[in-house]
Amino acid sequence: MQMQSVQTPQSNARLADGATSPGDARYLEVSMVRKSFHGVTVMEGMNFHMARGELVSLLGPSGCGKTTLLRVIAGLMSADSGDMVLGPRNITRVPAHKRNISVVFQNYALFPHLTVAENVAFGLKARGDTAGMPTRVAEALALVRMNAFADKAVTGLSGGQQQRVAVARALVVQPDLLLLDEPFSALDRKLRETMQVELKSLLRDRGITAIFVTHDQEEALGVSDRIAVMNGGKIEQFADPSTLYARPKTPFVMDFVGLSLRLSGRVIEHRAASSVIETAQGQIVAPVELPVGSMAVVGVRPELVSAVATSEDAAGTGRNRIQPVLEDAMVLGSKTILHGRAGEGDRVICELSGIRSGFVRGQTVTLDWAVEDTLAYEVAG
Amino acid sequence: MTAAPNIIAGTPPTRCGLGFDRIALLAAPGLSFLALFYAIPLALLLFQSLRGPEGGFGIANYVSFFSEPFNIGVLMRTLRVALLTTLLSLIIAYPTAIAMNRARGVWLTVFLVAMVLPMSLGVVVKAFAWSILFRANGALNQIMQAIGLTDGPVRMLFTETALVIGAANVFLPFMVLPIYAVLQQQKASLADAAASLGAGPFFRFFHVALPLTLPGIVAGAAFVFSLSVSMYVIPSLIVGETQQNLPMLIARSFLYLRNEELGSTISAILLIIAIAVVLGSTWLAARLGAKE
Repeated sequence: MQMQSVQTPQSNARLADGATSPGDARYLEVSMVRKSFHGVTVMEGMNFHMARGELVSLLGPSGCGKTTLLRVIAGLMSADSGDMVLGPRNITRVPAHKRNISVVFQNYALFPHLTVAENVAFGLKARGDTAGMPTRVAEALALVRMNAFADKAVTGLSGGQQQRVAVARALVVQPDLLLLDEPFSALDRKLRETMQVELKSLLRDRGITAIFVTHDQEEALGVSDRIAVMNGGKIEQFADPSTLYARPKTPFVMDFVGLSLRLSGRVIEHRAASSVIETAQGQIVAPVELPVGSMAVVGVRPELVSAVATSEDAAGTGRNRIQPVLEDAMVLGSKTILHGRAGEGDRVICELSGIRSGFVRGQTVTLDWAVEDTLAYEVAG
Repeated sequence: MTAAPNIIAGTPPTRCGLGFDRIALLAAPGLSFLALFYAIPLALLLFQSLRGPEGGFGIANYVSFFSEPFNIGVLMRTLRVALLTTLLSLIIAYPTAIAMNRARGVWLTVFLVAMVLPMSLGVVVKAFAWSILFRANGALNQIMQAIGLTDGPVRMLFTETALVIGAANVFLPFMVLPIYAVLQQQKASLADAAASLGAGPFFRFFHVALPLTLPGIVAGAAFVFSLSVSMYVIPSLIVGETQQNLPMLIARSFLYLRNEELGSTISAILLIIAIAVVLGSTWLAARLGAKE
């Protein structure tokens, strides 16, 4: 996985060009938004803000409220209560068509009775902003490399082409904010990756503020400046991709973003700002203080785990060491993944770079990793 | 490809030597039924309309039909009533179809029952029920006088207005259902997309909803117009002999005047109108759907 350098919104390169007002750091501010459907509250006390020019992802499993939040921001759904400010405007009570927020939908939502160019021109016509329209439409289509299709019917286009047209249609009106609702999830993997790269550079080059909703953690990590991981209508963690991956705040974030070796156990003692957790694979030391006696989950990213020849006790070496029975060794070319036998709810996994041979199913392997790389969380018993 | 054969749609057509798809044989019973009980009698009727009074063939019957001002009046009234009925049912049906498209659960069932149930009630029963409503001392007149809208009873029964209202009432489902079917196929996200692009309610209606429902409107209008030009029972009961339409004239020719030539000539004219409506609407629907 490609890691990005840590970027706080204030140090964002795009901000340096355009940011003049201090309000730019809180360009979009969502405060205390609440939304319920038929008496069931799906979101409560939602707070969220982002900087001008930032590309933020809302990441989470289906039903986590990410699409609801996006639709509330777009004005396609009204919030029960709460406040939303975009730039200088309070948009809480502004209808969708006056918010100047464009949306790109999962199913493209192109108008089937209009040509490619007419679809792109739709927003300009709707606003009565038709000065130089043919040129602007052509430019927007050129951005997504669809100018050759201007006079074609949209229904004959492939999924990728349709979504390009939808992006052009959303951008031609120069929105204050662009919302993308799982825009590439209907595309096949290769095309999806190409589109992600294209979209990212397009948005960066033009300094567009955008929110990207996805359930695909790799997509979120690859595309965004920052990611808000959502679960059960709440944001569990809002951070840049590397922080999110290296220092997940909750076991949910650890599990949802990237893979991890994961063991559950009980905290048995404290040692100098660290805790010892008794697990099915032995004692694990984690660099956090957890209450003795509480249930805990420990984890480590699989590429930080190595397979070592020695089977000596790791005590005092600053490393954790476990000796699972090998379940499977999958050689994937650029990496080899070892799966160890693990109990219910646990996962023993180790990712080695390149092709590694010599691992036999059923043998005992020794896996080790640095104590400082160990993640640990207290969980409810 | 190892796709399992689809029992209903069939495997890709297995063609015999002459490029004949055997699955097409399934249409044979329906086609023979239509030929035997529709095409052949109709052809005989057309044949009769082209027969002269003293034998031989010609358009003499048509010339005499169109040279009679009374007949022209009946033709015009038939077309006018059909057009007004179509318009009235469209005005009522369009919002109904939109509401039905939004309706879920119990409400959708209520709508569908409301559409289908009146069709099972005979037209005769409905027509007599209306006469209670429309007559001089009927409910409608009493209400209008009570709220001071009119001074005395207004003649409503035996008027074209009553006929149009009655016909639109009977044919309403034929307008609602095609529009509803088209709405059902529309993605809800299209309206969202239009709104997020800056389109207000009116722009959304005239540039997205209306163009996309036009095929349904055309189909519904074709149904209602065809039914209206050929209706017999409804005008017989509501307006009676005083304001005849083409089907009433046909019945009169066959039953009372015993003039089979005139009857078959008017039938042929009615058929031509129906064919024109079908062809016209098919062409229009094809044109509207060209970009699909």
